[in-house]
Amino acid sequence: MDTAFAERRRRDLIVASVLAAIAATVPLFVKDVYVQNIMVLTLMWGALSQSWNILSGYCGQISLGHALYFGIGAYTTALLFTKFGVLPWFGMLGGGVISALIAMALGYPCFRLRGHYFVIATIVIAEIGLLLFHNWDWAGAAMGIEIPARGDSWLKFQFPRSKLPYFYFALVLACVAWFVTWWLEDSKWGYWWRAVKDNPEAAESLGVDVFNSKMGAAAVSAFLVAVGGSFYAQFVYFIDPESVMGFQFSLLMALPAVLGGIGTLWGPMLGAVILIPITELTRSYVGGSGRGVDLIVYGGLIIAISLVRPQGLIGLFSFKQLARLKQLARLFAPKRKEVAR
Amino acid sequence: MTTPLLETRGVWQRFGGLVANSDVSISVGRGEIVGLIGPNGAGKSTLFNLIAGVLPPTQGTIIFDGEDVTALPAAERCQRGIGRTFQVVKSFETMTVIDNVIVGALVRTTVMRDARRRAYEVLEFCGLGPRADVLASDLVPSEKRRLEVARALATEPKLLLLDEVLTGLTPVEAKTGVELVRKVRDSGVTVLMVEHVMEIVMPLVDRAIVLDLGKVLVEGKPADVVRDPKVITAYLGDRHAVGA
Repeated sequence: MDTAFAERRRRDLIVASVLAAIAATVPLFVKDVYVQNIMVLTLMWGALSQSWNILSGYCGQISLGHALYFGIGAYTTALLFTKFGVLPWFGMLGGGVISALIAMALGYPCFRLRGHYFVIATIVIAEIGLLLFHNWDWAGAAMGIEIPARGDSWLKFQFPRSKLPYFYFALVLACVAWFVTWWLEDSKWGYWWRAVKDNPEAAESLGVDVFNSKMGAAAVSAFLVAVGGSFYAQFVYFIDPESVMGFQFSLLMALPAVLGGIGTLWGPMLGAVILIPITELTRSYVGGSGRGVDLIVYGGLIIAISLVRPQGLIGLFSFKQLARLKQLARLFAPKRKEVAR
Repeated sequence: MTTPLLETRGVWQRFGGLVANSDVSISVGRGEIVGLIGPNGAGKSTLFNLIAGVLPPTQGTIIFDGEDVTALPAAERCQRGIGRTFQVVKSFETMTVIDNVIVGALVRTTVMRDARRRAYEVLEFCGLGPRADVLASDLVPSEKRRLEVARALATEPKLLLLDEVLTGLTPVEAKTGVELVRKVRDSGVTVLMVEHVMEIVMPLVDRAIVLDLGKVLVEGKPADVVRDPKVITAYLGDRHAVGA
């Protein structure tokens, strides 16, 4: 009865483990620092998009303000380290917790909004956050914060001379985000979230606590994104409001999921693997004067996706889809004959 | 007779100047199938929403299973044992049929394996077993109605509110629908149903309550209710009542 389902879940887990193992060996063959950099970014954006997907994909509350949590994660780590000497590992946790709390505090009024109104609220709130950090002198204001780097150290999580530790951390982060999604997918929360997305009124009538479902999704999502932000701060050593809280980061979290398949387990990672290398490569090949070309690529991909496959690319990989295509082909086959006659 | 399962006492609902329910007091006994009927705009759906907890009544109390549930939101009433379907079906369209039902089953358990097993049982009960892995959006209308019932049954309700589940079905579909409602009652669930199609409802229900203009007009055995001059007037106008 539910063996097919359990089998699919197990297969997902095995595929993910195999992919992660393969990914872990890639740096053994790829020594080019530039390519390694792209791999780090791909994994990081995959993880971020996977986290965004929990609130926006599964629970259906589209946020275009997740840059706020990304920035809070980055700033918490950087500030705690530079001002108080707190190790980034604790900053990472602290940033995650603060972001989760803020997400719930903001969710309290905002989750009463629906659809586009909610999206607009998230954009505006993230912009307010950006402005606050722009004017907050203690946090470096517009000048930003530089994280002093003094040689490789796992304790301080900084590696000026190598990309490899970042790569492995990003891989772990991506795996954690994936695994959390996988685990939540077959839990009460996972079902509640999808029910809330599809029809909140019906969900309510079936005993679903709609409001708290959204709050839970927001907290998990914001926590993971903030951890990603912390990682990013350690990765680039220098943060300012624009470079961690700009609107483009909110978009960059949404796009891989939308491209790969929003509200699906594999969509965000698939989207990131396609999107991030393309944009990084176009950015570097077109060069400084071509700034913006990567954004044109984004725009083009999104338009193409919404025209051709609004459900995302991941559907192309399902066997059901193949069967359906065959069915369609069979349906149309006799009609064509008639026309020919 | 023991205490009724559901009782509304002097329930009023006003929407601005419009009075949708005025001083409605009804009761539903355990194990009954009660039909709530009345012409369009009589306030049937409003009363349903008040019982299900979609909105609080302007005035009055709703007693369920001996407890005052007037102030409880819909989700908590579901936990207490009130299940409902919607007149305009509200399936979770991007989810499979079985997943739709699991959402309901999760009210009673948080162990996924149990919820899934329970959901399969309910689907079999409602005759949707073979459609378990289909997306809800791919169901035909009569199946969607069944899914509504299945989802509500998965919450293991004591009282099931059916909002026009038999309307708009073909005669054959309606007949299997009637059988399903009987089966539900036989499994120990009390049923309160809003329905338009008189010839289907009347043989099915134990008792009928007629609402008109927001008030309880008549209640009693279906055979008596259909002959009542007041009911005929409400549905067809004075001329026919005189003729009767």
